[in-house]
Amino acid sequence: MTRPRARRTSGGGLFFLAGLGLWLAAGGAGAAPPPASAVASGALDEGKSRVEATLLTDVTQVKPGDSFRVGVLFKMHPGWHIYWKNPGESGLASEISWDTPGSTVGELQWPMPSTLRTSDGFITTYGYEGEVLLSAQAHASEKAEGSLQLSAAADVLVCEVNCLPAQLVLLRQLPVGPETHRDAEHAPAFDAALARVPVAPERANYTVALALDQPSLTTGRAFTGTVTLAGTSGVPPPTVDKDFFVPERVPGIKHLALTAVDGQPGTFKLEGKASPDVPASEPRFTGVLRLGTAASGYHALRLDLPLAPVVKGSAEKGVAPAAAPKAVSAGVPGAAPVAAPAEASGLSLGLVLVFAFLGGLLLNLMPCVFPVLALKAYGFTRTVGDERGRVGAHALAYTGGIIGSLLALALAVLALRAAGHGVGWGFQFQEPLFVAGVAAVLVAFSLNLFGVFNVGTDGTALVEKVDASHGLGRSVGEGVLAVVLATPCSAPMLGTAVGFALTSGPATVILTFVLMGLGLALPFCLLVLVPGLARRLPRPGAWMERFKQLLGFALLGTTVWLVWVMGGLTGVDGMARTLAFLAVVALGAWLYGLVQGTSGTRKLMGVAAAVGLVALGGAWSLRFDEVAPQAARVTGVQAWSEEAVATALAAGQPVFIDFTADWCLTCKFNERTVLQDEDVRAAFAQHQVAFLVADWTRRDARISAKLAEFGRAGVPMYLLVSPSAPDKPEVLNELLTEDTLIDAVRRASGRVADARPY
Amino acid sequence: MKSLFTAVALSVMLPVVAFAADTAQVGKPAPAFTLKDEAGKEHSLSKYKGKIVVLEWTNPGCPFVQRHYTANTMQKTFGGFDSSKVVWLAVDSTASNTPDKSAAWKKEKGFSFPVLQDPSGKVGKEYGAKTTPHMYVIDDKGVVRYAGAIDDDARGNKTADTTNYVKTAVDALLSGKDVPTATSEPYGCSVKYKS
Repeated sequence: MTRPRARRTSGGGLFFLAGLGLWLAAGGAGAAPPPASAVASGALDEGKSRVEATLLTDVTQVKPGDSFRVGVLFKMHPGWHIYWKNPGESGLASEISWDTPGSTVGELQWPMPSTLRTSDGFITTYGYEGEVLLSAQAHASEKAEGSLQLSAAADVLVCEVNCLPAQLVLLRQLPVGPETHRDAEHAPAFDAALARVPVAPERANYTVALALDQPSLTTGRAFTGTVTLAGTSGVPPPTVDKDFFVPERVPGIKHLALTAVDGQPGTFKLEGKASPDVPASEPRFTGVLRLGTAASGYHALRLDLPLAPVVKGSAEKGVAPAAAPKAVSAGVPGAAPVAAPAEASGLSLGLVLVFAFLGGLLLNLMPCVFPVLALKAYGFTRTVGDERGRVGAHALAYTGGIIGSLLALALAVLALRAAGHGVGWGFQFQEPLFVAGVAAVLVAFSLNLFGVFNVGTDGTALVEKVDASHGLGRSVGEGVLAVVLATPCSAPMLGTAVGFALTSGPATVILTFVLMGLGLALPFCLLVLVPGLARRLPRPGAWMERFKQLLGFALLGTTVWLVWVMGGLTGVDGMARTLAFLAVVALGAWLYGLVQGTSGTRKLMGVAAAVGLVALGGAWSLRFDEVAPQAARVTGVQAWSEEAVATALAAGQPVFIDFTADWCLTCKFNERTVLQDEDVRAAFAQHQVAFLVADWTRRDARISAKLAEFGRAGVPMYLLVSPSAPDKPEVLNELLTEDTLIDAVRRASGRVADARPY
Repeated sequence: MKSLFTAVALSVMLPVVAFAADTAQVGKPAPAFTLKDEAGKEHSLSKYKGKIVVLEWTNPGCPFVQRHYTANTMQKTFGGFDSSKVVWLAVDSTASNTPDKSAAWKKEKGFSFPVLQDPSGKVGKEYGAKTTPHMYVIDDKGVVRYAGAIDDDARGNKTADTTNYVKTAVDALLSGKDVPTATSEPYGCSVKYKS
């Protein structure tokens, strides 16, 4: 690339003469200061120039046909920097254009750059502070005579906090003579700069191999691999310091990074991501590796290896699933005790559906769903005397209610996803209004059971009331309620199934949810369809009215839990507001009960008053402010962050991460039992386990992303990371037990003994 | 109970909450945000669903931004779009920026799109905006379709054949085609985040 060099300022000639005068004064050949035309400064800021550039050669005279070196020495003002050929995440590559009649200039040699980060660590760039000599090999023509004219135009961006572009034009003459004279002053500077320029691995007696974990790169997806560096002819394995790797810019490849694998010198983990529009040609992996330490001195290698062929990602069109592909890169071991994430373990759709069905079945036993099941069983005893057809209809209605609402949930999830939102299982419980709504429904339902009001009948006889309140509509409603209450209970196996479903296509989502619904409905349907079972239930009688009221209290108990969830979401104020709203709902229900035996205007006004009261009360009370996360609730724990994990691992501690939420009863159960267990605490203390809590009670994109990385869409999730295998965390079962947890902790702290070969 | 109960249960279940994705990535949903512009008016990304949204990370103090505004790159690009289909939002995540500075600059350079104020840098970091200018094109469904530089002329010395990536991306989206270049390396100053 050549540039017109007609940019000398009018004063340039004068300066040149002045420089020539100095050169003559210094006695000609030998240590001569460069002529003034070979020096320029730029990037004027507050009256000071932030960069000064000098055109240098390593000879004072050149013989025609000989080689020499030419370069530009940049001196930056303290704190300011210019950029490497890959500037990194911002900035602009430095550029030098040559115009050298009578000689040719080769490729620019870039010394290994420094890694520069903004103080918050968010932006990483590569460049040079202090001073740097960017040089190139040059060759004088055989026909050269007189002197060679060397001209360089440097285009650099000089940044501290602010950035200033600078265009510097540099010019000097190099005398041509019968012999080439080395410039004793400047040649060492060229040697020193060249020593910092990365060389091919063979030249430093290393061989390099790259093994990618995937056979091909998929557009838009992350990839991982291992770079292995081996010394030949007795070269010791390399050690590396901080910031030892700088990637070159590879078209279509982003976030290229190498990390050293602990305890295995010469082994590096490669991570990167293929852009959605990566060129189809096989990209290469290029970058610079700095070996050695500050104490031993550095030398740099230039890596240039074929990466892998590119295939077009199937999920490129439309909204790509956010989670599944990352599970692969996370390197989750297939040996995880329970189901590993769907894609990583090659989980088939069939198996996922079985999990969904079994998960739904188990949901019946969860404390959030059990009251509804009890209610259902109670209702069933009332209808069991009826003919089979009617009982079957109830079973169908209940199943329909469950499946209908699960389908509604599936559609809501799909709609949100299409609208560009990431959602997880139980996500509705992160929204205060939803929690308040469910609590209100539960209070209304319990008041109904207490007999404060009846719905759907104006009959007065007790038997009629009970009958009427067990219409088919109620069975549907109970099905809906079962689903609404089931969502915060991510039962064992559901974590995997729902996680898989939420990252798959719409058909899979719907199928998974339907199967889960069938599982949830099965126990009651069995009761209906197996005659022997039905006959074992107690006979209907007056006890039923009392039992019904008792179940009302069970629902109030569930409400207490929801109010507590609300406390976690919105603080004491939010709890009080919720309770106020519930009181208004109760008053509305009572008002409705008063007028429901009447008819005409009076009834209309009563209903209007009840509805108006609830609406006004809701509008007044349901305003929630999010509160700061409360302090950790298990002693000796700290909030999860990637930094905290890294810090603990660096200190050699195993890390236990508890992904939890206030509204997740399975999580709470584990926390109150296993995680508070004395033996477990003792094991944690003995092995110095760092206990981190990732609280998903409120929305947290970081936690959602982390869950997705492991193919999960909800909590609980328990990760145990061993310092000897930091990139292979163990995913523990959703239902923890003391023994498995203690065993896992022992494994994780077992350092080298248990470390899997990389 | 029946119908009332069903209705209440379903209606509390459906108005579910909007979620932010982790960072802006091409092919993935754009992170949601609500920011005030230099005049104090609120802009939510969700409000612009159905339109193509161009986000421009900007900082009038950056020479690269200055160059483009002096050459009218941004103003002309925006002016070439059908404003009923394309929304242009400049976002300033500079820690030291104030609405007054944005307003003065807007007046000086004579452009009409809002300059959203993000002095905390929260939205900028959610998007992973690293440079000024750093451009994102979001389609009518809220999915990021382009991320990177405004054009392929980092040094501003091309005289012809400059490719304006944002214009190319928006034109492709408007005609229902694939965005030919979905990512490019942004160039310019680093975003001066609060730290």
